[in-house]
Amino acid sequence: MLNRKWWVVAICLILLAYPPQWYPFGLRVQLSQWFGAASFRAFPQSLDSAVEESEPFCVEENQGWRDAQQIDGVAIEAAVTCAADNPYAIAAFVRGTNNVSHHTLMQSGLTSDAVVKGRDLDGDGDPDEIHIRLEVAELNGSSAESRQPVTQYAIAPGIKPGLWVFAPKLAGMARENFESVWARNALRLPSPVIRVEQGDRVTITLENTHYMPHTLHLHGADHGFVDVSGEGNDGVPLTSELPVMPGMSRTYELNPRHAGTMYYHCHVQPHVHVMMGLQGLFVIEENRPNNWLQTMNVGSGQVRARSVASRENYDREYDLHYLDLDKQLGERIQQHRDPRLITKSMHRDYDITDATQDYFTLNGRSFPYTLRESLIVVEEGERVKLRVVNGGAKGIALHTHGHKFTVTHADGNSIPVSARFARDVLWLGTSQRAELDLLTTNDGLNAYGPGMWLFHDHQYNGTTTDGIGPGGNISAIVYGDYMNPNGWPRTQGVSYKPYFTEAYYRKEIPVWESYAPGLFAEPGIDGWLLLRLLVLALGVGMLGALTISAVAGKRR
Amino acid sequence: MWWLLAMLMNDAGMVMNANTDTLPRGCEAISRDYQFFIEGGRDHAANAPGIIFGLSEHELRVEPCSRLTVTFTNLDEVRHQWMVHGLPKYLYPGGMFHIEANGGATMTGTFIVPGDDRTYLLHCDMAQHMEKGMKGQLVVGRGSGNLWSVRGVSDAFIRDSYLPVSVAKWLALLVLLGFTAVFMGRRQNKLKIERQD
Repeated sequence: MLNRKWWVVAICLILLAYPPQWYPFGLRVQLSQWFGAASFRAFPQSLDSAVEESEPFCVEENQGWRDAQQIDGVAIEAAVTCAADNPYAIAAFVRGTNNVSHHTLMQSGLTSDAVVKGRDLDGDGDPDEIHIRLEVAELNGSSAESRQPVTQYAIAPGIKPGLWVFAPKLAGMARENFESVWARNALRLPSPVIRVEQGDRVTITLENTHYMPHTLHLHGADHGFVDVSGEGNDGVPLTSELPVMPGMSRTYELNPRHAGTMYYHCHVQPHVHVMMGLQGLFVIEENRPNNWLQTMNVGSGQVRARSVASRENYDREYDLHYLDLDKQLGERIQQHRDPRLITKSMHRDYDITDATQDYFTLNGRSFPYTLRESLIVVEEGERVKLRVVNGGAKGIALHTHGHKFTVTHADGNSIPVSARFARDVLWLGTSQRAELDLLTTNDGLNAYGPGMWLFHDHQYNGTTTDGIGPGGNISAIVYGDYMNPNGWPRTQGVSYKPYFTEAYYRKEIPVWESYAPGLFAEPGIDGWLLLRLLVLALGVGMLGALTISAVAGKRR
Repeated sequence: MWWLLAMLMNDAGMVMNANTDTLPRGCEAISRDYQFFIEGGRDHAANAPGIIFGLSEHELRVEPCSRLTVTFTNLDEVRHQWMVHGLPKYLYPGGMFHIEANGGATMTGTFIVPGDDRTYLLHCDMAQHMEKGMKGQLVVGRGSGNLWSVRGVSDAFIRDSYLPVSVAKWLALLVLLGFTAVFMGRRQNKLKIERQD
């Protein structure tokens, strides 16, 4: 008897709670005809947007680094963006760490053997014996002490993928100071651009400071398969040599006969190691008299001590390194601590054929951080040289707003002048390089006049950070009139505050909240519907239990 | 900037914040002189599973107010460091004493420890070198307890599980087995009681 009462209760609950908008269509029409429209019920109010303090757009420390300056006789062009490379390191890269004053070397943060410049072999006034040392650093790795990544490096607010990079040989610790969790300035993505001169006798010593084996492969740069002593020189563990084990070093040699924009990368398990960041631009400049080169361009971007050829033909030069990253690859170094487990996870469990790219970087950062250091700043009537590499796993469709550029070189080789034409989208497959002439002549073809013009990968995933836009490799060509003195661009009243919060890239902030507060905000929940559903669930549960007990009772 | 601190630097490496004679507060005299010869590199991790780099000594014990002269030899072909953290900042800028040796090089430095019982972190601060084995502790007096994750001294604060994912399947099976056993047992019992009735 008691049981029957519960049956009635359960069925009544279900019938009463069942939301009318789920009734069969015909039933709803019939009910409307009988009873008319239901009374007004307001839609839920907008929720207040998450409020999070924005990071400063332009970090003011080291502003003295931005100035045009002369250090140890090296003329360093002004940095145009708010974040600038250390000018003492630039001077040391130009003169050689063995040829600068003690003060400059100390300020550079480099060791005295980081870039050693020797004799002038062709007697043209610049050194031709160049000995470069590269170390390997892990950023955002794991530790046994903390769940936070160590030696941290953010590509965008709150985005810290596990990375491996080649780095110049630095004196001292990996963090910026003793209390900091952040990697020091020169330890960053991408691996530094290396610049040598055609005909230089270059030796590069890979000092493997990392806990995994690595090599150096000079992609597209003229080098022998073996060195003078018959040792492997191609950096390929499959064909030429065994990899450089942790704590060990190996010296590679090259004497490049051909100038051009080339590439270097690790060739150990390249589908993992190259995609973790072990890759950089390798530029071979034409041989010119008194051609003192900035042997490394840390973090890529603006070249502040340019080659003779660049100064002759161009007003400015920028190195642009595009790289996409798979979140599920980088996080593997954060999930384990034991190198055996990390190795298994990265090289056996990870399957690149199932991979998708999540982060899209230009010179090691994603929007909005790209605007701090990878703007192309120009004036009207200039000729600007861009050297571009796509180091990512997928192609990029490089597009410039307001400008058409001309590709002068592909993969380090000159394109005949008759075959060149101005264009505004360039496809670069994985590891392809291009040299671009960007003319800021306001003639309606080359350029449309001053402004802040975006440039970005026109494949749309490249304009996002893990699917959130704006993000990815978006940056801008900015004319001087559109720059603030501190190096931050004038954005015509558009607020960048939401983009400089971690919450935005955690997908917690409605995308148009900054210019239309509330209009497209997160709506509150429908409390009435929720209540009905809870009651409905209760009724269904009761009904289920009654049914089971009825069936079980019958069997007994 | 940290690299402008008191420092000796040459082609073999550098020593930062060396202190041969300034006594820390609370020390009246140098209690004792120690000489330590420390080696760092892969060789000292050779027989230890799960690490890549190591130190010949992961723990040093000294008397308060003593003077340590550390000769650090790097057995590898890449840079390594021997750094002590947490020293008084009025005497050691940044609170640290730091020896860095290039590959194959040996560097020597001297410093004086304070008078209180305390355990100091010592490590190599190159990216991932501490995490992959180059971590130790300097125990002054009775110390202030062991640090975590010091090889041969203390366990890792966060350990990898070292179990394959497939273990989860067997655990689930065992849970099911346990549940079934109890359930069946109770049912048998119930039937027995009913039969007795």
